[in-house]
Amino acid sequence: MGDNRQPLDSIDATYKILILGDSGVGKTCTICRFCDQKFHECYVTSIGLDCKQRVIDLDGSNVRLRVWDTAGQERFRTLTQSYYRGAMGIILMYDITNLVTFNHITKWIESIENMAPPDTCTVLVGNKCDKYLCRAVDEERGKKLAENFGLDFFEASCKSNINVDQVFQHIATKIKDIKDKRAKRFQRTASNVSLTHWSMESGSHETKVFKCSC
Amino acid sequence: MMATFSNIHSKDGSKARFWKKESKVPGSITPVYGAQHPPKLDTPSSSNSTSPKKSRHREKDSFEAFESKTEDAWDDGDDDMFLMPNMKMSLKDVHSTAMEVINNHSLRVQTANGTEDRNAADIHTGDAVPPLNPHHHRLGGPGMGVRMNSGNGTPNSNTKITPLRFANMPVPDREVAKIEKFESLLSQNNLDLGDLRKLSWSGIPKQVRPTCWKILSGYLPASLDRRQPTLERKRKEYFSFIDQYFDTRHQEIHQDTFRQIEKDINRMERFIAENSWVSQIHIDIPRMNPLIPIFQQPVVQELFERILYIWAIRHPASGYVQGINDLVTPFFVVFLSQYIDNDIELDNCDLTQLPKERLETIEADSFWCMSKLLDGIQDNYTFAQPGIQKKVNELKNLIKRIDVDLHNHLERQNVEFLQFSFRWMNNLLTRELPLRCTIRLWDTYLCEPDGFASFHLYVCAAFLSRFSADLKREKDFQGLMLLLQNLPTHHWGNEEIGLMLAEAYKLKYMFADAPSHVKKR
Repeated sequence: MGDNRQPLDSIDATYKILILGDSGVGKTCTICRFCDQKFHECYVTSIGLDCKQRVIDLDGSNVRLRVWDTAGQERFRTLTQSYYRGAMGIILMYDITNLVTFNHITKWIESIENMAPPDTCTVLVGNKCDKYLCRAVDEERGKKLAENFGLDFFEASCKSNINVDQVFQHIATKIKDIKDKRAKRFQRTASNVSLTHWSMESGSHETKVFKCSC
Repeated sequence: MMATFSNIHSKDGSKARFWKKESKVPGSITPVYGAQHPPKLDTPSSSNSTSPKKSRHREKDSFEAFESKTEDAWDDGDDDMFLMPNMKMSLKDVHSTAMEVINNHSLRVQTANGTEDRNAADIHTGDAVPPLNPHHHRLGGPGMGVRMNSGNGTPNSNTKITPLRFANMPVPDREVAKIEKFESLLSQNNLDLGDLRKLSWSGIPKQVRPTCWKILSGYLPASLDRRQPTLERKRKEYFSFIDQYFDTRHQEIHQDTFRQIEKDINRMERFIAENSWVSQIHIDIPRMNPLIPIFQQPVVQELFERILYIWAIRHPASGYVQGINDLVTPFFVVFLSQYIDNDIELDNCDLTQLPKERLETIEADSFWCMSKLLDGIQDNYTFAQPGIQKKVNELKNLIKRIDVDLHNHLERQNVEFLQFSFRWMNNLLTRELPLRCTIRLWDTYLCEPDGFASFHLYVCAAFLSRFSADLKREKDFQGLMLLLQNLPTHHWGNEEIGLMLAEAYKLKYMFADAPSHVKKR
């Protein structure tokens, strides 16, 4: 079981990360690989959402990455919207052996832009790069798409454990950068600024950070 | 009713007392302790002080009171009351108890002989549903402190339990009698559906389950004469759908070729990308029930694919939604079981050995029964899934009414009901329970009006509060989510489901006619 629980006081921050993408691109698999260091050939379809976490070391501080696994099917999307709340990082994933999942990426980006909080750090990942014989999407195309939308890009493979940790490490570093920048700005204009969920994030597990009206 | 509710919440922990005083439901009265399960000394619950220990120290009439409160324990046919250690009993006590038992027994025989005037609660929670112990879900996890009927389905059982199969258990006499009742009912020319529901509510014996399910779901008519013709007509109709929709699709996009490619290249879907839900079916099926080998057989996967495809194409408002595939499984397994003598084989049996016609009848029957089921819950799967959103909200409000501590605990840790109970609604708990338990659960769902929709809500509430104590022990978000996503039910059997259903029935009894009680305040 993906239980990486640590005493609360040793955790310096908690980052909420979402994995999105079409059904079957390997979202659950990626989470299991990252959080449990395991790979299974067969997964049950995700329904609703699951949550796993792992504590990583980020420049000497313990950062807990809480990764939310979502269901990929279109019908669930209205409900997935509520999951965007408070997300700091998003891993958007497609399957390099499946063109359709790549073609849907623009749709996903659109919904991220509409739903996710501003300043969310998004990374595009082409999964299953071990299956290069069945490749349907060239690496260049992925890179180009990512460039167009200003995203970082990785090709990864859960099966062969290529780039999985790197993706998470990268996204965590970026979140930290954004937070640090925010904190500085906050210090400068501390007098008349209202707290946003970003500036309170390190204490997020006991503070109600952000609540929508529904 | 309002007054009673304010009662519940006025004092902390007065809930247990409430049930004792108010409940008219047999089997729900007091905790029943026997020699097998004496009250635990180290249990934290304060209400344990109302256990037999106390009554022992009082005069004989208090024993009688205790005895009469627990007389439903006799239903189980266990007389371990007399084996209770350290229990001093006067001859008078023994006599009075014996008399009571004899009286009760003759009473029961009378009622069993055809009198129908027991109230609904009586029927629903009587007989096979074991006495409900209000402490049960408070004391540790499932399986702890559970009264055993005959050792069936308990974690300590030596028999290997697979996700599909119940532990091998001796068929008790009561079970034999029950089967006889079912058989006589089913052979009546004009079956009374009400009778069948009453009888089935507390669980349907395996032998008669396929027929009962078909009748209860509305697929088969009550009239005996019309059943066979209906079956034949419906099966024909289903296969005409296949001819109409499925086989033509085969030719158009070279399904066979696709399947071959699919085998070689894992979950490849680009050939049928036009209809997103068609490809969805393809992705989900190999992922279904990975622990049960029969679902890995191509014959079965193709069968499921056809059922889901035909249903989806005939229900464009929802189409195929992930999770619907899980709802075919219980029907498939139950209808398959009638052609396989020994349950043990069911997990691994090679379906290519089964005659084609039989597989076809299983397929058609599963399709129609699943269609009937989905008719009642279609708003779970239409755009924005309003049925699920509504039920998740109702669940939250219901928990707030019945277990405010748990509700607040979850809220404090920022656990939202949508985060864990979405799947409970979308998949009707099939992901949370072993398949054998889902099947038992559906026996009851099929008997309840609107069972898969409104009654399911109460079951979910009972299910969640069952783990209330465990959840309250988890002090952080992650611990809560981990537990909620992997609730320990793998060893569950009929007994646990029976308890949960009795609890759910009680909730329904309390809240169903008073919907404002579960409205947000």
